[in-house]
Amino acid sequence: MNENLLEIRNVSKAYVGVQALDKVDMTIRKGEIHCLVGENGSGKSTLIKVVAGVVRQDEGEIIINEKLYRYLHAIDSIREGVQIIYQDLSLFPNLTLAENISLNQEIERSRKVINWKDIKEIARHALDEIGEDLDLDERVENISVASKQLVAISRALTQDAKLIIMDEPTSSLTRDEISRLFNVITDLQKRGISTLFVSHKLSEVFEIAERVSILRDGKMVGTFNTEDLDNDRLVYLMTGKKVESTIYKFDEKKKKAPLVEVRNLSKSRNFKNISFSVQEGEIVGITGLLGSGRSELALALFGMFPADSGEILLEGKSVSIENTQDAINAGIGYLPEDRLNQGLFIEHSITRNIIVTILEKLLNKFGFISAKKREELVHKWVNRLKVKTPNVESPAQSLSGGNQQRLVLAKWLATNPRVFILDGPTIGVDIASKATIHQIVRGLAENGMGIIIISDEIPEVLQNCNRVLVMAKGKIIHEVKDVTSVTEDEVFSIMSRKEAYEAV
Amino acid sequence: MWTLFIMMVALSAIMSAALPGKFLRLLNFQSMFSQFPEFGLLSIAMMVAMISGGIDLSVVAITNLTGVVSALILTRMIPAGMAGPQAFIIMALAVVTAIVISGLCGLLNGVVISKFGVPPILATLGTQGLFLGIAIAITEGHGISTFPEKFLFIGSGMVGGIPMPFIIFVGVAVLIFLFMNKTKLGLSIYMVGSNPTVSRFAGIDNDNVLIKTYVVTGLLAGLSSVVMISRVNSMRPGYGAAYLLQAILVVILGGVDPYGGFGSVLGVTMGIIILQVLQSGFNILSFSPFFKKFIWGMMLLVVMVINFFVAKYQQRAKKLGTQPVESVPSPGE
Amino acid sequence: MKLFDAVKTYDYRSLLKHNETFVFFVLLGFSIVVTIINPSFLSIENLFDLAKSSAGMAILAIGVFIVLLSGGIDVSFTAVAISAQYIAVKTLIILGIDNLALAFLISCSVGIALGSINAFLISIFRLPTLITTLGTLSVFHGGLLEFVGSTPFYSGQIPDCFKSFGLAQVFTLVREDGTKFGLSLYVLIILGIVVVTWIILRYTMLGRGIYAIGGNREAAERAGFNITRIQFFIYCYVGFLAGIMAIMHLAMIRYATPTLSIVGTELSVIAAVVLGGARITGGSGSILGTLLGVALIVALQKNLVLMGLSSYWHQFLVGLIIIVGVSITYYQSLRRSQQRVVFTEEL
Repeated sequence: MNENLLEIRNVSKAYVGVQALDKVDMTIRKGEIHCLVGENGSGKSTLIKVVAGVVRQDEGEIIINEKLYRYLHAIDSIREGVQIIYQDLSLFPNLTLAENISLNQEIERSRKVINWKDIKEIARHALDEIGEDLDLDERVENISVASKQLVAISRALTQDAKLIIMDEPTSSLTRDEISRLFNVITDLQKRGISTLFVSHKLSEVFEIAERVSILRDGKMVGTFNTEDLDNDRLVYLMTGKKVESTIYKFDEKKKKAPLVEVRNLSKSRNFKNISFSVQEGEIVGITGLLGSGRSELALALFGMFPADSGEILLEGKSVSIENTQDAINAGIGYLPEDRLNQGLFIEHSITRNIIVTILEKLLNKFGFISAKKREELVHKWVNRLKVKTPNVESPAQSLSGGNQQRLVLAKWLATNPRVFILDGPTIGVDIASKATIHQIVRGLAENGMGIIIISDEIPEVLQNCNRVLVMAKGKIIHEVKDVTSVTEDEVFSIMSRKEAYEAV
Repeated sequence: MWTLFIMMVALSAIMSAALPGKFLRLLNFQSMFSQFPEFGLLSIAMMVAMISGGIDLSVVAITNLTGVVSALILTRMIPAGMAGPQAFIIMALAVVTAIVISGLCGLLNGVVISKFGVPPILATLGTQGLFLGIAIAITEGHGISTFPEKFLFIGSGMVGGIPMPFIIFVGVAVLIFLFMNKTKLGLSIYMVGSNPTVSRFAGIDNDNVLIKTYVVTGLLAGLSSVVMISRVNSMRPGYGAAYLLQAILVVILGGVDPYGGFGSVLGVTMGIIILQVLQSGFNILSFSPFFKKFIWGMMLLVVMVINFFVAKYQQRAKKLGTQPVESVPSPGE
Repeated sequence: MKLFDAVKTYDYRSLLKHNETFVFFVLLGFSIVVTIINPSFLSIENLFDLAKSSAGMAILAIGVFIVLLSGGIDVSFTAVAISAQYIAVKTLIILGIDNLALAFLISCSVGIALGSINAFLISIFRLPTLITTLGTLSVFHGGLLEFVGSTPFYSGQIPDCFKSFGLAQVFTLVREDGTKFGLSLYVLIILGIVVVTWIILRYTMLGRGIYAIGGNREAAERAGFNITRIQFFIYCYVGFLAGIMAIMHLAMIRYATPTLSIVGTELSVIAAVVLGGARITGGSGSILGTLLGVALIVALQKNLVLMGLSSYWHQFLVGLIIIVGVSITYYQSLRRSQQRVVFTEEL
């Protein structure tokens, strides 16, 4: 009796000029929790799409439930019990939970007429299976992201799923919600349903997966039992390199007046009485769970959603930041969390992307943009940050993922910020690019910039910052002055302390 | 871009060949070049609105309204036989009023779209009714005509054999070209149209940019109305209704992306010329206005279908030499 | 008892969230004002008359509503209607046949055929709906006038079947002086269409598919909805409704002027639908709201003179209502999405 639910043999897929998958083998057992990891461009997305029947492979075959398929159509996949939950969840915001959960099944059964009683029953049954109690008549647009995810999972279950593929399911969840999700996955496992989890958060791999498959540049490096691996070895397998991690040291003796100082900054329902300062050359980390107000604080400093009260001082002088232009003028830069979707005009040229924030500096005496100044500036930054491109007029989308990240950085550095706020700088970034970004950031700090890193990856802040502020429920509840003095777990427990939520 | 140019030249050649003796006459050219500016200005207005990611369905209504008001000033405030300088001041007043009103109309559009968050389709559909409605109410449906001769120079005069409106159009086209490509606001319009989120993060004040976009659109429409009334020597609400579809056609033909972020004055100008050549040919061939309406509609549909195929072909070509972008997992590509 | 309990426990607060409530109150307020000026507004006779004259717009509005639900917009429906009307009446006249059923058959067939052209362009080529239907509006109308004809048909030429249809009544009442008036058959037709549409939207997979496409098109594709088929249905349905309206319209006014009638009223119809709560982005709205919107627009139209304004102000008022109405609605959404609320209570 074959214990393999799914077997992928020798699967290859090429897009013009790129080999997305190269003779990949992988197996998933029945009732297994399996993780698929890899850097950007490794082929993770393509692989799961092949399994879901959305993309057709060039070579190789797929065996599901002991049936051999040369090609999978989406309908075959579904019939074999493969359900894929995309990162955007694919829900209908304007329809009720009941409909969202049940419609797929009704369509599959070729129903032409809607029986509302059936719809509700199917939905209720599916929700019960995962042990959740949600209001079936509520519109999906009104519920939280975590609930939406549970709705997506219940929907997958209505079609007799044997394998549920989840694409980066935890990116917008709080710690509690992630635990809840993992409980559901473990429950599914007890019922014999396998889960294939695509993730870049290595900590989650170790937390939930039994086995992990590692893709690198389209090739399957191997499948391992997670208990046989540790973080460093996993990283090595993913990148083929050893990545050095040293802690950032700030020279205390260089103390001068603070570069940026925040006093009693408050924003209704977002954060309250935030006060801290950053000196030249410091890298200060701000961490906290999702929903602690940390991102909102950053956005307020950048003028995107300005604060209601309080003061912001730059080099001792009070500045008013009511919009992003004010912030840029004051010398504050901000690297958004979703760098590519929030940071780049993907169809426009590299030149345009770089100059868009500093148009004023390029004007000649008539108020027109000087072509000469423009070219000088663009070439300067492209070279400094080593953005590899044959032509600066090519669109940003022609760059590789890593180079796109550099481009976004270049764009912001061109504004010559005095203070640079990075929100989740390495989320969704591959290990190699992560290291590069950290390196660049340290270089900037050493040259006198003040850096603020907002992140919920505790190891990231502990390694790269010389001071860390911990936020919870909109306030700063703790400051770690010496990053060598705490462990990751200690910080985590500070952040998630129940008392933190009640007393503060 | 080159395809447009080729199309333009080829079409003119075909026309000259097919209609020997009629197309290539100087008179024909002069009439073409005096007719298309009023329409050309509207097309450029539409282009600006579309590049910003929206559309302005009220441009023709704005020309009606400003035209009507200016016409009233010209006819009511200048009794026949009024002497030079006085009449001149009133004429200037009429032009200034046109500019001011059209700017205000544009401002209303801009505010409704940016500050209230109403989608441009809906907002300009509403303001179209609003502006046209005022024009109808003021004139009770009638036209206003017969303006002072000096005023007509704007629309019908010539400078060195070149029709005045054409000169105005070229001047404005150059101005807008510089504006869109060389000024901060102009580039910002492209950015907002391309991706409003990214532009906010880049420090652009989207609301401000959008308001100014529609004010510019309005002003261009106002300028167009001045040219219109001085060429036709009258204004009636409802005049130029066909221009709306044609402006959209020309703009799409000229390579402007209906979803925003891309487009050029040069492309639109070539589109205008192509359309005018066709229009001219149709007139010589005595096509009925109904048939012309049918053709413009067909052309718009055909151009968009062609664009569909071109985009599909380009998509395949784009994959050459690039890596699949997976930095942020993109679902269901 | 159950009804009483239901009334008592109904969540009235949620009503405020619905756009339909606002429209209803505006309509109510307007009716009160008008009735004060002219008490005969609320008379049965006047209401019957109002119902009859708004039937045509209501039918078109329902079609537009469905298109909006799916996230699209159609401005060519007026050209479809006039084409259907003209072709039907011209055919009947040329063939010398006086048969209402045939008229409907021709009209609806033309409507469906033209609608299918829209559907084809929009679903196969994925063209943006506004610009496409702007194009087909021109093509249909220009094509009709050029290839079918533009000569009007006047009262004397119109076959009798239309006249009797236009005058048909569900029931008749007698006034004091012996003259009669009645509730037009049109009301029944509209009711029928409303019921059929409602059933389709609520109880068929096709209908839910329309909502789904409007809500999240990509998800709808993934879920297995046949987008092409649904879109064909939508645009052909609009054409079908336009065909019905065309005959009703002709029967009511008793002349056909293809150059001047119906086309040009797009704004009013769309205004009615949008006022009734349908979102231009798709996915939400209701038939009830649409009907209320139509009622408001028509009531305005009919009572302009009463309010001391010449009928020339109609266009302006419709535009003004749209602008004010949508500004309020969209502004509310804007505010809601702008407030990044992290914590539900104050810190």
